[in-house]
Amino acid sequence: MDKPPLALDPNFSGASEDFPAILRRKSLLQSAPEPTAAAGNRTFIPTESTTILAFKFAGGVLVAGDRRATAGNTVVYDRADKVLEIDRHSIMAIAGVPATAWEMARVLEHSFQYFRRTQLQEMSVDGKVRALSKLLRDNFGFVMQGVGVVVPIFATYDGNSKPEARLYFYDAMGAQFEVTDYAATGSGSPAVRGILYYENNWGDKKLRELNEDEAIAIALRALDTAAEADTSTGGVDRSGKIFPLIKTVSRDGITTLPEEKIAQVFRQSVA
Amino acid sequence: MIEEPYRWVEAIANRREYIETQLAAGSPIAAVGYRDGILFVTLGRVRQKIFEIYDRIAMGAIGHPGDIERLRLAAIELASTEGFTRSAADVSLRRLAHYSLSPVMKSAFEQVYGAPFLARLLFAEIGSSPKEDLFLRIDYDGAIAADGLTGQARQRFAVLSGTRQSAELMEEFLQKEHVTDAELPDAINVAFDAWSIGRMAIGENASKELPERDAIRKHRDEQLTNAGIEAAVLERGSKSGIRYRTLADEELRSSLQR
Repeated sequence: MDKPPLALDPNFSGASEDFPAILRRKSLLQSAPEPTAAAGNRTFIPTESTTILAFKFAGGVLVAGDRRATAGNTVVYDRADKVLEIDRHSIMAIAGVPATAWEMARVLEHSFQYFRRTQLQEMSVDGKVRALSKLLRDNFGFVMQGVGVVVPIFATYDGNSKPEARLYFYDAMGAQFEVTDYAATGSGSPAVRGILYYENNWGDKKLRELNEDEAIAIALRALDTAAEADTSTGGVDRSGKIFPLIKTVSRDGITTLPEEKIAQVFRQSVA
Repeated sequence: MIEEPYRWVEAIANRREYIETQLAAGSPIAAVGYRDGILFVTLGRVRQKIFEIYDRIAMGAIGHPGDIERLRLAAIELASTEGFTRSAADVSLRRLAHYSLSPVMKSAFEQVYGAPFLARLLFAEIGSSPKEDLFLRIDYDGAIAADGLTGQARQRFAVLSGTRQSAELMEEFLQKEHVTDAELPDAINVAFDAWSIGRMAIGENASKELPERDAIRKHRDEQLTNAGIEAAVLERGSKSGIRYRTLADEELRSSLQR
């Protein structure tokens, strides 16, 4: 009798095979080619046209991203969602090629769930951070071909770790850097880093002492500043009433701030 | 060589008897629909028996832990890859059981030189309305019994036990006592009563008919003092896509004291 197409492997052990490996075994996830030098004499130009920022505040971690998606000089979409929920306590914000980034987020989301279901425990913060790092490393072949660079921020909250709020940024090769206060990535990030550094050192309050409204105000001001000089960053679209996407993560999980709330803070503290 | 088929039939019969004996001591599991979802309940001393398979699918199992684990991991892998490739809504318990698990279990059972799966599985899948809920049982030989796949009236409950008699008594009780739109605490009580009935019908001094209510409660309270409660729900109204939630011991015990 032929085995049914989804038959169990008689030697199936389930041991220590992570979800991306299963997807590759089943040819459901494309492997990147071996990293080689960029084709021809083209200079390697990382394209990560957007602005993403995250910082720790009194209520946990705030992650914000503008809504613009571009292809070269063209704006293709003005309601892109670059701040993605991976599980109840983890947010991944993406700068880079959307197709790769969203697929990566999807793989990550399923990996965490797969781990919880099979191992009957939540994956540790270190495990989650490492899982994203591996996906980036595996993707590096595409990066070198100039078609798949992703530079994410990862924010998570774990009541069992110290500190409880954790924030990481990555480079395109998969190195992870844990930060104590804030992170920013994407083409508009230099301006944002300047603002966050300034606020954290000489502002009225340190970032981690801000309440939610103050934190939203800083995030909106930073994105608006980034949009001032960077064509790839949408900032706040005043006429179209399109606001950046802001999520917070705390002990109670992830909250997507409602647009009215963001609009209200915008009117009070930014406009 | 004419006797070969008879040997095979005999071998299968022996194997069936062996497996039934092995499974006979298994602590029962009751799954009942309630107003906002589906509740799984069992009591045990040794190991976990109720598991999350995917966003809308839960599994209870009795049998050999090694076999249960293989089937459980296979089910999770199949559901996860399907959910990843398409969407969570495209993961179907019906296909998981009929297309993947049942043929494999049947084939292992009938190949008399190989090892069968010593496991009996109970699945439930929560739909967007009670009408779409599905309860499904797969036995060690791949046989499937389902509630919710055909047009017939649904009972919205299912049980799993070590012996046929135990399972039948539990079903008889639930047919009388189970209310499909009950609140969770009421559902917990009915499910634990059903569990107690199933447990009383196993082993020495097994009851052959439904015990009196007092006897059920007495047995239940005795068991509760020296065994751990295990329960989980699939919640229809859950905000996230993941409907599975393990119930905490306090939540269960406070419901039971009523």
